[in-house]
Amino acid sequence: MKAVVTKDLGWKYSGRKRFAIEHVDLEIEENTFVSIVGPNEHGKTTLVSCIKGLIPSSFHGVWRGSVEIFGQDVRKLSAQRLAQEIGFVFADPEAQFTSMTVEEELVFGLENIGLPLGEVKERLDWVSQITMIGDLLDKSPYEISGGQKQRVAIASVLAMRPRIIILDEPTSMLDPLGKDFIFEILTNIKKETEMTVIVVEHNIEQIAPLSDVMILMYEGSIAKSGPPEVFFENSDFLIEHGIQPPQATAFIDNVRKLGDYNGPLPISLEASIPVLANILDHRLGGKG
Amino acid sequence: MAQTMELSAAKPPLRKMRRTLLGTVPVQSPIYELHPATRLFTLLFLGVVSLFIDLPEINILLIIAIFIYLRWAKVDISGLKIYLPLTVTVAIFMFTVSIAFPGADPNFHSFRFLGITFYLEPLYWTFASYWRLMAMLFGTIQYFSTNRERETLVAVRSLKVPFVITYFLSLALRSAGMFLEDMRTIREAERARGLDETSMSLRDRAKLYAMYMIPLFTLAIRRTDEISNALYARGYTPSGKLENEKQRSDYILTQYQFRRIDTILIAAMVITFVLVGVLRIGFGVFAVTQSPLRIFLLSLF
Amino acid sequence: MTAERLIEVSNLVFEYPDGTPALRGVNLEIFSNEFIALIGQNGSGKTTLAKCLNGLLKPTQGYVKIDDLDTREKGTTKKIVTKVGYVFQNPDHQLFNNTIYKEIAYGPRNLGLDEKQVNERVHEAARVCGVEEVLFNEHPFFLTKGLRQRVAIASILAMRPRTIIVDEPTTGQDLRQSLEVMNFLRDLWQNEGHTIIIITHEMPIVAQYAQRSIVLGQGKVLMDGVTREVFAQPELLAQTFVKPPQITRLAQAFSHVGFSPGTLSVEEMTEQYREICQGKS
Repeated sequence: MKAVVTKDLGWKYSGRKRFAIEHVDLEIEENTFVSIVGPNEHGKTTLVSCIKGLIPSSFHGVWRGSVEIFGQDVRKLSAQRLAQEIGFVFADPEAQFTSMTVEEELVFGLENIGLPLGEVKERLDWVSQITMIGDLLDKSPYEISGGQKQRVAIASVLAMRPRIIILDEPTSMLDPLGKDFIFEILTNIKKETEMTVIVVEHNIEQIAPLSDVMILMYEGSIAKSGPPEVFFENSDFLIEHGIQPPQATAFIDNVRKLGDYNGPLPISLEASIPVLANILDHRLGGKG
Repeated sequence: MAQTMELSAAKPPLRKMRRTLLGTVPVQSPIYELHPATRLFTLLFLGVVSLFIDLPEINILLIIAIFIYLRWAKVDISGLKIYLPLTVTVAIFMFTVSIAFPGADPNFHSFRFLGITFYLEPLYWTFASYWRLMAMLFGTIQYFSTNRERETLVAVRSLKVPFVITYFLSLALRSAGMFLEDMRTIREAERARGLDETSMSLRDRAKLYAMYMIPLFTLAIRRTDEISNALYARGYTPSGKLENEKQRSDYILTQYQFRRIDTILIAAMVITFVLVGVLRIGFGVFAVTQSPLRIFLLSLF
Repeated sequence: MTAERLIEVSNLVFEYPDGTPALRGVNLEIFSNEFIALIGQNGSGKTTLAKCLNGLLKPTQGYVKIDDLDTREKGTTKKIVTKVGYVFQNPDHQLFNNTIYKEIAYGPRNLGLDEKQVNERVHEAARVCGVEEVLFNEHPFFLTKGLRQRVAIASILAMRPRTIIVDEPTTGQDLRQSLEVMNFLRDLWQNEGHTIIIITHEMPIVAQYAQRSIVLGQGKVLMDGVTREVFAQPELLAQTFVKPPQITRLAQAFSHVGFSPGTLSVEEMTEQYREICQGKS
């Protein structure tokens, strides 16, 4: 089943001359991991806000086209229904922490949808484990780091068990260790749940290996999309559009241009090592 | 960026303490036997009851009781030293005013000391007021030293205050924290631009506070947007009502138990309060004229 | 070119008022015309050290001397800010005037310069930072983040410090914006003769721009040297939780066939590949 379908989607914020996104036709299959990349101010956040229904409900502007979530028009769903269908994690871990303790933050959304208390407890235990925050439950927002706050934000969304989870630059404000934690959580989500994950991310190196599909947003439209092995071909096009492929991938791509390799592009360091070993073996072992 | 220690090796060994609004309380404190609502009542009771009680003897006893209560709760009493300058300043201020402007009445008992005429009645009245103030002050401090924001909210919610009010109360408490954090960074940023507060006049410093408003509001506006989006994204509706007419559940409340001791204590505080009020207003009990110490002092003249 | 010593840090210990130790004995020298990256995990003491370097924080023990001016002495604030500038991470924390002009003029006015000199400094700093004069009467609130950051840097430059510390200049920025701000800082270093110190988590940026890297961990300097040499020591680096750029790690996995463990870019790696393979063919 299709999790998300947009048809000729367009949005112009009121007071702006240009459409932030225009003619976006997108289909996302259920249970896939999609990453959206591209320069700032080129429509990434606008696109995911439309999918979540934040646009048009919380913003003024001009809407075109349609967005369907599991076959339902997103504009006809209430905030509560949307919260159950789609979770949303924002970039700034400070701003989304609205309660006085971690535990409260986690149960806040569950209380909002009126879950029975036994179920609340069960989900609390599950998300604390998957996001590694069990020891933070009674802490207040002042006592935990930015990275920990972001884990709490993700946990509070996961607890709702949405069918789709959207993360808008979840690691952009974090240090490397904090980033690693988030990518580990994303890996857990991908492995352990059936959720459809949509991530807006600048950290190409870490998001690419997790992605089933990558989408490049440029000047409000989809400039390129596809599975990572295909997406990173023609790195010049990507660099022109403000995207730096993972360094190892870019290097193997160079080797390919030299005519020494014609297999699929590896998209992580781990995958690049055997590929390069093979190439060198061939070049050096064969002739040297 | 905040100085957060994520490396476990860098952490000093921690005693099990829990941060409260003004201090810390050991995690094992017996105070956690009491329901937050009961603790909130101690604030309402101790913070207000002294308004009806002029007798310094009773107010001093109340303060002693507060200290015993804090001791029982295993609060580090030495931490209260920071309020000492405040209590002394208030005393100096009140007594100076009372000595300089006694509103002398010919019927007052007076005596001369170091060339100044002292009038006993206004002096005693100041003395009584001072202790009344102190009792109220420590009644408030005890609450904020032993409770966190969360417990305040639980207390207010368990008293059936509508959800929307308690939620905004918590957002306000939350923003206050961010506000202070921002303020600190802004002050540093000003110093990084060559501002030397120590060499400034009072008037210039006041202007400085006006200047903080620009970044503070900028930050607040940018965040309000984000917070309201975050609330929407979590299915929040201000009424707390759900589509299918269900009420939102309250998990956090179930983490605290309301016991018999809580009922007894709250009832005792309410009854005492009403009793004291009635006796004071209806029968003039606890008026300063009934103070045994005052009667004794006047008998010396 | 002989390097002149600008900052001397000796046995610097810093504890926060609640007793949390942040720096535990740091020794450093910063020279003229350096481009330095200060790296390490959050909590390693980077920001604390940077704030000690310009007197925002005073040492608990040890000392920081800027041109022989001890930061512990009282009343040195105004002198220090003309020697070491500090740009905060979030421009919103440091823009407190209602026009761009006043913002850039704020520092020089605090230094007690007359209006003519102030005006000169504002124009100079704005020009260097690419802040156009038509913006002088705008409110900072309405500018884009990139431009607000430039205004923040201009407002520091207007005090003409020789050393400029920039806290996480590329956080939250995309590739182009990052390159833009970093190229601008490089320009200040190469053409205007400033010493630049950046605090950053992004190792490809460090590899591309910083000549010297100082790695902090648990309040101590763990490594200090030429960036290429710092990144070429993976075992030592691993203890600090700092990962060198991906391409460096790939090169290190193949150092036995001749790739340099100090490889810093895809171009260098490709070049070496050519040499290695062509040498054999």
